[in-house]
Amino acid sequence: MSGTIELRAFMGLADTFRERGWGNPRQLSLDGPTSGCELLAKLDIPVEQVEGIFINGKVSLPPVAVVNPGDRVALAPPGIPGPYRVLLGFKRKLPGEGE
Amino acid sequence: MFYRVNMATLAVSKDDGAQYQGLGGRALSSRIVSAEVDPQAHPLGASNKLVFVTGLLSGTGAPNAGRMSLGAKSPLTGTIKESNVGGAMGNKLGRLGIRGIIVEDLPAKDTAYVLKVSAAGLVVEEMPELKGLDIYDTVAKLQQKYGEKVAIGCIGTAGENKMASACVGFTDMEGAPTRQAGRGGLGAVMGSKSVKAIIADDAGTQMVPFADEAAFRAGTKKLANALLTHPVTSQGLPTYGTDVLVNILSEAGGLPTRNFSSGRFEGANNIGGETLNATAKERGGKTGHACSPGCIIRCSNIYKDKKGEVLTGGLEYESCWSLGADIGVDNLDDIAVMNRLCDDIGVDTIEMGVTLGVAMEGGVASFGDGKAAIELIKEVGKATPLGRILGGGAELTGKTYGVRRVPTVKGQAIPAYDPRAVKGVGVTYATTTMGADHTAGYSVTANILSVGGKVDPLKPEGQVDLSRNLQIATAFLDSTGLCLFVAFAVLDIPEALDGIVEMCNARFGWNKTAGDYLEMGKQVLRDERAFNAGAGIGAGDDDLPEFFRKEPLPPHNTVFDIPKKDLDTVFNF
Repeated sequence: MSGTIELRAFMGLADTFRERGWGNPRQLSLDGPTSGCELLAKLDIPVEQVEGIFINGKVSLPPVAVVNPGDRVALAPPGIPGPYRVLLGFKRKLPGEGE
Repeated sequence: MFYRVNMATLAVSKDDGAQYQGLGGRALSSRIVSAEVDPQAHPLGASNKLVFVTGLLSGTGAPNAGRMSLGAKSPLTGTIKESNVGGAMGNKLGRLGIRGIIVEDLPAKDTAYVLKVSAAGLVVEEMPELKGLDIYDTVAKLQQKYGEKVAIGCIGTAGENKMASACVGFTDMEGAPTRQAGRGGLGAVMGSKSVKAIIADDAGTQMVPFADEAAFRAGTKKLANALLTHPVTSQGLPTYGTDVLVNILSEAGGLPTRNFSSGRFEGANNIGGETLNATAKERGGKTGHACSPGCIIRCSNIYKDKKGEVLTGGLEYESCWSLGADIGVDNLDDIAVMNRLCDDIGVDTIEMGVTLGVAMEGGVASFGDGKAAIELIKEVGKATPLGRILGGGAELTGKTYGVRRVPTVKGQAIPAYDPRAVKGVGVTYATTTMGADHTAGYSVTANILSVGGKVDPLKPEGQVDLSRNLQIATAFLDSTGLCLFVAFAVLDIPEALDGIVEMCNARFGWNKTAGDYLEMGKQVLRDERAFNAGAGIGAGDDDLPEFFRKEPLPPHNTVFDIPKKDLDTVFNF
């Protein structure tokens, strides 16, 4: 089912949005469920420029994130200070990575 | 070298502090307060002591080692207090070979004293002309007399009036008093002893000695490399400052808004680091400002008003939040004015902002009214009856106005992360020896933290273990004189911790392991817990206010649900 997401960008990615003439937030149409990496490819943003993707206020990592039409989404690049990267779930091992 | 200053007799003595060997920073200040202050003492009385101490690495030129600690029994919380500050003072005291200055007793005379320390020793000077001045004017007068190269720490009228939220303001490397030992009201303790200012002049000093200079330099290189390559410390913080967290926490639903009634602020972007950076560029201000010698992270800033005049400095996340989202204000210029007023009068911006949020809930002003908030802070400066209530902190203000939602722990205002949406920090708020304090739980390394995908900020699982490890690691880092922000790089680059261990060992000729230093962190917490127990503050006080467990926080509509019995296990080590 297609629809739009409300997409925000923080830190240097906010500059990228501005340079490209995009709103922040930007309304973006999706055809259906979209993986984090597919979303970044659609936006032409290298995956290494995004450490975490907020989906409806919860952090997910690009390789495992799934965005659905209707979601509120935000892109957070590497460089978020604080233990909050741990507390909010940025600093998290992906499935299959060792302890 | 330790100096003791007796304010009753104005006598100064000097000793080597043999009983305090091997300690620095928070470990040292908390040990001195634990050993020498009666936990039942009145915080503003003769039995309380105010200590200024350097960290293990102070004066060495190590990266980001410019912090120092102030300690005393807190008039705000009734607990032991370590208040940590940057600026120029820590490095100068370190270069002077000073490990601690312990200020005792109460003066016979109602005047203003200045403690001036240099290579020639410590002298007490009476300067009654400073009485009644706020911090910026005090600094200007002292720089006129002693030159612009000295480091200054002083109190404003809030400290003189012994308000429980009073801070001590310190000069940065440009001589502006933009750094604060903010939390816990230690400015009031300083005021009770009529100490208006402390001044350090390190002219004529040499480099501090090293047991093994080559090993020290090798350790320095490891930490510096980590700080210069990690994206947080080399890009995020220098460009946007800590204020970059406003948008992040709002998006995560954890930015306390309008006195902790919501976790998301619709005006977040207007007060966040991205806007702060753009405004600084537009007006000729500065981001990427270093607050202390050796700082290579440079998270501080200089903020100018619309006319291009410097308005304030060190406008960081906590202040933009407390004087912004928490009172519903989304105007960065209003926030900057409030920040300047707080720095000048000498009150903690976290305590002041949260107090204003409580006061607004009590009907004193409307949420979102920045101009009214500015006027309320001016009341604090004038020490009117309303100003004294506000200057007494959030808890006093909540009681005065019959407010039910008062976000404090052990009498101290909760900082900028709502514990219902960021539960790990909630455990730290509830249990730290300091009263609600976000900096009591910073991270070290992933392997120490064991964070492998276990922690969900909205769920209770794993939060107690996380907070315990964070608090232990923080207590050690606070003892080194290092800025806590080195932890951001250490989290991902383990060599940085190796560098810290190597620097501490090489400075003193020790052979300690990271485990030994974490044990130091545990001992700090034991010392502080013992003091608090003596003051009648124990495990029963280790919890959050009731509303956090009962009122769901939008947008996630979660409550703080970590059982009290689990909180009681944080100090099981």
